Amino acid sequence: MSGRAIVITSGKGGVGKTTATANLGLGLARHDRKVVLVDGDIGLRNLDIIMGLENRIVYHLVDVVRGRCQVRQALVKDKRFPHLALMPASQVDQKEAISPEQMRELVAQLKEEFDFVLIDCPAGIEQGFRNAVAGADEAIVITTPDVSPVRDADRVIGLLQNSMGDPQLIINRMAIEMVQRGDMLDQQDVLDILAVHLLGIVPEDDEVIVAGNRGAPVVLNDKSRSGQAYGRIVRRILGEDVPIPELNGRGGFLHRLGKLFSRR
Amino acid sequence: MAWGTFVQRLFGNIGNKGSAVLAKDRLQVVVMYDRLGLSAQQLEALRKDIMETISRHVAIDSERVKIDFLPTPAAVTITAPVRRLRTRGEAQKQQAS
Repeated sequence: MSGRAIVITSGKGGVGKTTATANLGLGLARHDRKVVLVDGDIGLRNLDIIMGLENRIVYHLVDVVRGRCQVRQALVKDKRFPHLALMPASQVDQKEAISPEQMRELVAQLKEEFDFVLIDCPAGIEQGFRNAVAGADEAIVITTPDVSPVRDADRVIGLLQNSMGDPQLIINRMAIEMVQRGDMLDQQDVLDILAVHLLGIVPEDDEVIVAGNRGAPVVLNDKSRSGQAYGRIVRRILGEDVPIPELNGRGGFLHRLGKLFSRR
Repeated sequence: MAWGTFVQRLFGNIGNKGSAVLAKDRLQVVVMYDRLGLSAQQLEALRKDIMETISRHVAIDSERVKIDFLPTPAAVTITAPVRRLRTRGEAQKQQAS
């Protein structure tokens, strides 16, 4: 068996990479796929606490690469979902503790056993990024509709296109009211700038914080807007044709008409 | 929903240009520069070269020459306001010298 290795990246920090990785992983596991989440943020691990697995870590990624333990020993099984496992990052090492080549080997090994290997990339475009990207076949870029994350996303998209082709995009924390007021970029604005395929939009939602507090990612909460959005994204990753609901809503009908005529 | 809000929804804030428009315009420029990877010096060199080339044929207002980078489809545009068109004789004289 050879699974799909997908890196979740953004350039900018704090836009929701780790949250997205956790939610996509859990969502895929709920569809009975075997999933492993790899925390690529060596020195600043966080996927464990978002997943509620922080007390179960024995070994970590750097231990595996250094041959201090077997892959199986480092994997933390999620008791809620037998299909889901976490490969934690080391909290004491530096990004330079592993090389892209070692990461490639590790991911290749994981792909033999899992349907999906989701790699949570650290912020930045330095060694940590190069490591996280090394073993991946595909990439998902996360941005929020703010100027600096969109700019950084464009840089990262450029770097990814050199190594593995076009990534897909998730726009996170879209605040519909602000878009309607004209004070936030809408999905079309972001796509006009970044020119990549849109995988989904996650609305701004307090439930994400609550989910983080509980260590139970929001995709498990079927009533939450963001959880539902992640659920739809998961189905798109699995190849289902799930339409993206119109969240931009800046245009009343007449506004759209006006926009049409005011095009240069 | 208040009547005002309803009208606003229907018309989608015509006339009230929010900050999103500004954000998009600024991003398009900055992203284009990022993609080109041009430094300020390289840009100035480009401007000088273009000005010299155009000046050989047309008298332009060099103070007001403007270079823009447009996104999709990517393009470099140069706006060089013409002071006055040279007569054919003047242009030939210049070329001869």
